[in-house]
Amino acid sequence: MRGEDYGYGMSGYRFERLKILVVDDNPHMRSLVAAVLQAFGVTQIYEAADGQDALDRLRTTACDLAVVDWVMPGMSGLDLTKAIRNSPTSPNPFIPIIMLTGHTSLDHVEAARDAGATEFLAKPVSAKGLMVRMQAVIEHPRPFVRTEVYFGPCRLRRRDHIYDGPERRAEDPGAQLARA
Amino acid sequence: MGRKKPIEIFMPPNVIKAKVGGSGRGLDLAAIQRAETAIEKLSESFGEWIASDVERLIVARAEYESSPSETTFSALYRGAHDLKGQGKTFNFPLMARVASSLCALTESSTDGRGLPAALIDAHIDAIKVILRMKLFDPNDRTATVLATELESKVTAFRDKLGKA
Repeated sequence: MRGEDYGYGMSGYRFERLKILVVDDNPHMRSLVAAVLQAFGVTQIYEAADGQDALDRLRTTACDLAVVDWVMPGMSGLDLTKAIRNSPTSPNPFIPIIMLTGHTSLDHVEAARDAGATEFLAKPVSAKGLMVRMQAVIEHPRPFVRTEVYFGPCRLRRRDHIYDGPERRAEDPGAQLARA
Repeated sequence: MGRKKPIEIFMPPNVIKAKVGGSGRGLDLAAIQRAETAIEKLSESFGEWIASDVERLIVARAEYESSPSETTFSALYRGAHDLKGQGKTFNFPLMARVASSLCALTESSTDGRGLPAALIDAHIDAIKVILRMKLFDPNDRTATVLATELESKVTAFRDKLGKA
């Protein structure tokens, strides 16, 4: 675990209260992400070099957020995300996941979203990019959706599930999303 | 036909917000500035870091050549993909560009069969030159011409496969 004292972040965020897991097979990228998080004021940073290592850490530590690299040997970030969301033995299916990747195409963004990632951050890693994603996780949590084929954060854009019209049929919660 | 299960939508408790509190208004510019300073400090190591990533790619290429398999090809792909992301982050944008082209080439196959070995090696040679000459400038003329040439060859190859 890494941790240095940078005091409270602005926006009044008490980042020192968070436990954040950084999953990347590349030690240099882990160091960079950890340095950025430390500068934000995060003091409890855990690192995992692969998907299995990450799952093991999640079983022993109640992490609040995971920053996960996409391409890793063995279990990819995508597979790890699916395991966290769907495995019956998952220690924390609701943990927000920021998917970090060199992939930038829309197809990849959609694949990450379909796996259950909460936010997507394309490399190069920047301080502002990571802060924006963390703030999105904190301030604009997505509702969770369970269907026959998917479990995870709602895949529609946030504005799509804001509905202020008349009340609709209670027995069909999907109707609101489908019509938004 | 059986009735489909209804879609279930619910909002889990916002545990993370409960922990960090805060107003949530605006970006924490001071924290971002601190983080940028931290990155700047680390940048002294970027050359060394990227050199080890390049070495990993070279080893992966050699292993794939001596023992072609899905596993060794996958390591080669990961090496290229890592450099694509790391190059951008560690101030080697042209290396990222060439690695991105190598990624596009390796994504044309699941096990490497049928990929032109000479074109893979040309990418790796270009990456080695960019590292050796410390070409940080994304507009470096010679490297830009080389990158463009590699990209056009990859595009032509993918076009031939119908994967443009």
